[in-house]
Amino acid sequence: MEQIRSLSQLLEYAKKIGAEKGPKKISVAMAEEAGLLSAIEEARQAGFADAILVGNSDKIKAAADQAGVNLANYEVIDERNEPAMGITAVSQVSSKKADIYMKGQIHTNNFLRAMLNKEVGLRKGKNTISHCYFHSVEGYDRIFFVADAAFNMYPDLAAKADITQNTVNLARAFGVAEPKVAVLAAVEVVNPDMQATLDASALTQMNRRGQIKNCIVDGPFALDNAVSEESAKTKGIVSPVAGKADVFIVPNIDAGNMLAKAIVYFSKNETAGLILGAAAPIVLTSRADSARAKLLSIAAAVTLSDFQK
Amino acid sequence: MQKLDFLLDESRKGRPMTLALACPYGDDAIGAIIGAKREGIVRAILIGDEGRIRTVAEQDGYDLSGIDIVDEKSDEKAVEKSVRMVSSGEADLLMKGLVKTSSLLKAVLDKEWGLRTGSLLSHLFLFEIPNLERRVIGISDGGMNTYPDLNAKAKIIENAVACYHKIGIPQPKIAALAAVEAVNPEMQATLDAAALAKMNERGQIKGCIVDGPLALDNAISEESAKIKGINSPVAGNADMLLVPDIESGNFIGKVLLYMTEGKGAGVILGARKPIVLTSRFDSMQTKLLSIALGAVVARS
Repeated sequence: MEQIRSLSQLLEYAKKIGAEKGPKKISVAMAEEAGLLSAIEEARQAGFADAILVGNSDKIKAAADQAGVNLANYEVIDERNEPAMGITAVSQVSSKKADIYMKGQIHTNNFLRAMLNKEVGLRKGKNTISHCYFHSVEGYDRIFFVADAAFNMYPDLAAKADITQNTVNLARAFGVAEPKVAVLAAVEVVNPDMQATLDASALTQMNRRGQIKNCIVDGPFALDNAVSEESAKTKGIVSPVAGKADVFIVPNIDAGNMLAKAIVYFSKNETAGLILGAAAPIVLTSRADSARAKLLSIAAAVTLSDFQK
Repeated sequence: MQKLDFLLDESRKGRPMTLALACPYGDDAIGAIIGAKREGIVRAILIGDEGRIRTVAEQDGYDLSGIDIVDEKSDEKAVEKSVRMVSSGEADLLMKGLVKTSSLLKAVLDKEWGLRTGSLLSHLFLFEIPNLERRVIGISDGGMNTYPDLNAKAKIIENAVACYHKIGIPQPKIAALAAVEAVNPEMQATLDAAALAKMNERGQIKGCIVDGPLALDNAISEESAKIKGINSPVAGNADMLLVPDIESGNFIGKVLLYMTEGKGAGVILGARKPIVLTSRFDSMQTKLLSIALGAVVARS
């Protein structure tokens, strides 16, 4: 496939999947909010998604009316108990009736607890579940994948290896044949007093030894030499990743969150996110996200689900 | 490098180096120095209780004619004088006789008249291994630093690299060893090895190629590296094994010396001048090679 280089292209690609292979089914936990239903309806009309709506059917109806969505196009499962909504919604995915697990109004705790449920959840062995922000930024010819800026707070090396592999898999689903991964720190040299630089070194070697696959990992990088070839050259860094990174692995949630939000608020960009590393793609948008961001997250989940099939 | 005997040839070139031997009261050190003098490897000055030195030499039938002796009865002062001779340039390298290693090192590290450089002292042992095609392999540090951290390991590599440059290997290949060649977050040796490889890539460790983690087999055997699918300029071709701790280094060294027909040469690096520190259990050949290695490194 051709590499998806912007989020508009992502949307087109999801439509193509829908047209060629039919829509992917989303199972939504507590689908009781109008904005969410609008985004799902848009994805349905674009032909790449369909949904099972789990929650209080009265409230779903009210939200659908508010959004002008016709519920005749959806399967609604009436469930009044919030934790049970999560279990019911996730079961649709683990039993293969749906392809994507999505959070509605349900509390994040209940949503995730259901996802981690040993019997009906989506955990893949001990693999770390992680979040990825993907940004298309004006002036750059490719999508930047940033992980983990939202889910794992202070991941250790083993978790960072999982996060890297999860994110690489998403980049590959977006058609980046061999994603270039920059492991970020504040500096590009190894400093025994900065754990991020040590972890970055270890991740590089794990990649070389085949412990992290289908990508080229290098680090530590400071952000400048990961995105700018010139900066890398000035610093004398010889690396296939320098200046060409697709994936940015951040040392912790604080740095990652500020990086992602700096991109969102300071640049001309489009941004969406996805939860990775489970048996199926997971969409966890917040009410504050725009309808467009929700639609893009769904498109990404559809693309990843298609890639993993 | 195929054979260690080249050290003997190297050490004979140019101005002979002068070795200061502190407290040579054991037959081993005097014997080695007599041998080294006969081979033309170094000139020697013996510093210690002259009466005691002469008695030991006589008992073992060593002829001390032509060897300078500086009479100094106290061990502490003999050590100090030896070190001062080297720091003043009167001698080019230091060797330990029958005196505690700790006393010698204390003098070496003296701030006023010692030989410290701000670097770490480390021990390098070069082995000639008969059943390996690439015969000479170094090990560091199996003799001095017990449980070096990452910073110390980087310095151990730097010391060794400077020595390799002097013995004519301009870009030594250094394998940072662990029990496995994969990174395992539970095994510090693998984490340190990965960091050292990266420090080398980022120019923080220069003049060499570092890779790791490597297991001993894939560091020295190209076939083993190939079977494991390791793509590395160092795997199978290591000039030096950076060991994670003193035990592992010591065990490899002792297997080579006692269980193979191997011979070796050891030296302490990281001071302004090399320090030869042989053990009485070393063979005469190993002692001579160690002195020769010290002399070659001393030559600037």
